[in-house]
Amino acid sequence: MSYHEHPLVVTGPKVQDMLGIVSLPAPGAPQKTTGVVIVVGGAQYRVGSHRQFVQLARFLAAAGYPVLRFDFPGMGDSPGDPVPFEDSAPHIATAIDALRGQGTGVGKVVLWGLCDGASASLLYMQARHDPRVAGMVLLNPWVRSDAGLARAQVKHYYRQRLMEPGFWRKLAAGGVGWQALRGLGKNLRAMRQKPPETLTFQELMAHGWKAVEGKIMLILSERDLTAQEFVEHAKTHPAWRGLLSRPGVTQHAVHGADHTFSSSSAQREAEAVVLAWLNDLDR
Amino acid sequence: MSLLGRAMLPQAFFLPTGSGKRFCLFHPAPGDFVRGCVLYLHPFAEELNCTRRVAAQQARALALAGYCVLQIDLLGCGDSAGHFADATWEAWLQDARLARHWLREHASGPLWLWGMRAGALLATALAKDLSEPCHLLLWQPVVSGQQQQQQFLRLHTASQWLGADRASGQTPSQMLNNGQPADIAGYTLSPALARGLAAARLEPPPCPSGQLVWLELSVQAEPALSPASEKQLAVWRDAGWAVSAQALTGPLFWQTVGTDDAPALVQATLDALAKTPAQAAPP
Repeated sequence: MSYHEHPLVVTGPKVQDMLGIVSLPAPGAPQKTTGVVIVVGGAQYRVGSHRQFVQLARFLAAAGYPVLRFDFPGMGDSPGDPVPFEDSAPHIATAIDALRGQGTGVGKVVLWGLCDGASASLLYMQARHDPRVAGMVLLNPWVRSDAGLARAQVKHYYRQRLMEPGFWRKLAAGGVGWQALRGLGKNLRAMRQKPPETLTFQELMAHGWKAVEGKIMLILSERDLTAQEFVEHAKTHPAWRGLLSRPGVTQHAVHGADHTFSSSSAQREAEAVVLAWLNDLDR
Repeated sequence: MSLLGRAMLPQAFFLPTGSGKRFCLFHPAPGDFVRGCVLYLHPFAEELNCTRRVAAQQARALALAGYCVLQIDLLGCGDSAGHFADATWEAWLQDARLARHWLREHASGPLWLWGMRAGALLATALAKDLSEPCHLLLWQPVVSGQQQQQQFLRLHTASQWLGADRASGQTPSQMLNNGQPADIAGYTLSPALARGLAAARLEPPPCPSGQLVWLELSVQAEPALSPASEKQLAVWRDAGWAVSAQALTGPLFWQTVGTDDAPALVQATLDALAKTPAQAAPP
């Protein structure tokens, strides 16, 4: 066995206790000083879809990197009420403390996040400007907004519905068509929504991106709507101008991958890319 | 073994076995009065992830009600060692035996085997070869492993419709029949596990018979047990089991990744177990 694991209570003065698992290189094997904190998103728990986070943690631990995975409150085995990803900065800070405080010799950490775990990692940097964070690995970051979703729905769903004869028959018969029309009206209003006075979470993510003094690795799945929305958003939104081409930013697209890298080849590729990037960072 | 003793978080530890460590969670009953002990056996593949939160809520509620609860992640599942592809039905049954043994060394009172979905199949298989009497708590039980497997294989068909997997020459069931593993929804199902699962049936173990608590969920406002369940339950009654069966309104939380709660299920479980007096355990 080339890794060793133990449970860890992730605890701090401002957050409820959370259950975590630390993966370390096998006793006696050389260990890196850069640690990895997996920021779980998308209503998953620390194991991840099809054990994605378990396998990543063991793979990186076998290569020398200490890794912490943990359940946010109300998810998996941690008690409490679920925490929205926009409000998870105290929990991420506590997790970084916990991994560094383990006598593991961890100095700097890298945040690794998929979907809204990636978004939460960026929001953490926006909120905390944490100098302990040496870099970030962001997979298919989540930037969905009501306006963006409304635009996508009008484009892909209602346009199609309005072309169907069955829709108009239902409408004439007083069926569900009226409900669909009300939905369309709501979406059209949402699309026209003025941007709020305060910054949106997507804008805060852009600020977080700027706040990373280390390196950023962006990994995108080819067959994933979330990834496509992110790229579209980063290309068109003023707050994101120039951020993807900043120095220190690396991009990698995984051919044929779905949102959670469910095929074993996609998963192996994502793992290998992360390890090569970490080795470069740790050098 | 490191036991974590913080309030509200269960004690997490890795149980050594001949084939790697199994992740376990122990929820001790607070205080001296123990009403019984409960071994939880989780459902199949991604259903484990989807059900983790509700299982944790129930385990905490049972502990508060005076039961000592042990959860185990089977070989290749959750945080346990190994890959899903390494798992066999016999290995899982062996894990369940070990867990029961550990629970018996750490808690007293009547023994409940609590199985969710395919975990119900494992619970009845374990009950069959126990030398001590036990009660069964079955959540949304799968009545045959064959049925569970067909549902799982259907995920492959669904992913082909969505274009995620390139159609290969053989279907997963053909591959399994030819002795090859099949990749489905991020899990590799081995022919050995497929064989063992397909042979598993929900049959009442021989005497001594105990209590059977059977709970199902439905999204209907007035849920009723399915005819297939009623047929099953008649078999258990004939075998001398005291059956308490109920259909409840609630989300089908084993099918979706989210933060669904099932308070009616948690309460019905507490009520059903409370009806079995702690002292009325079979001798």
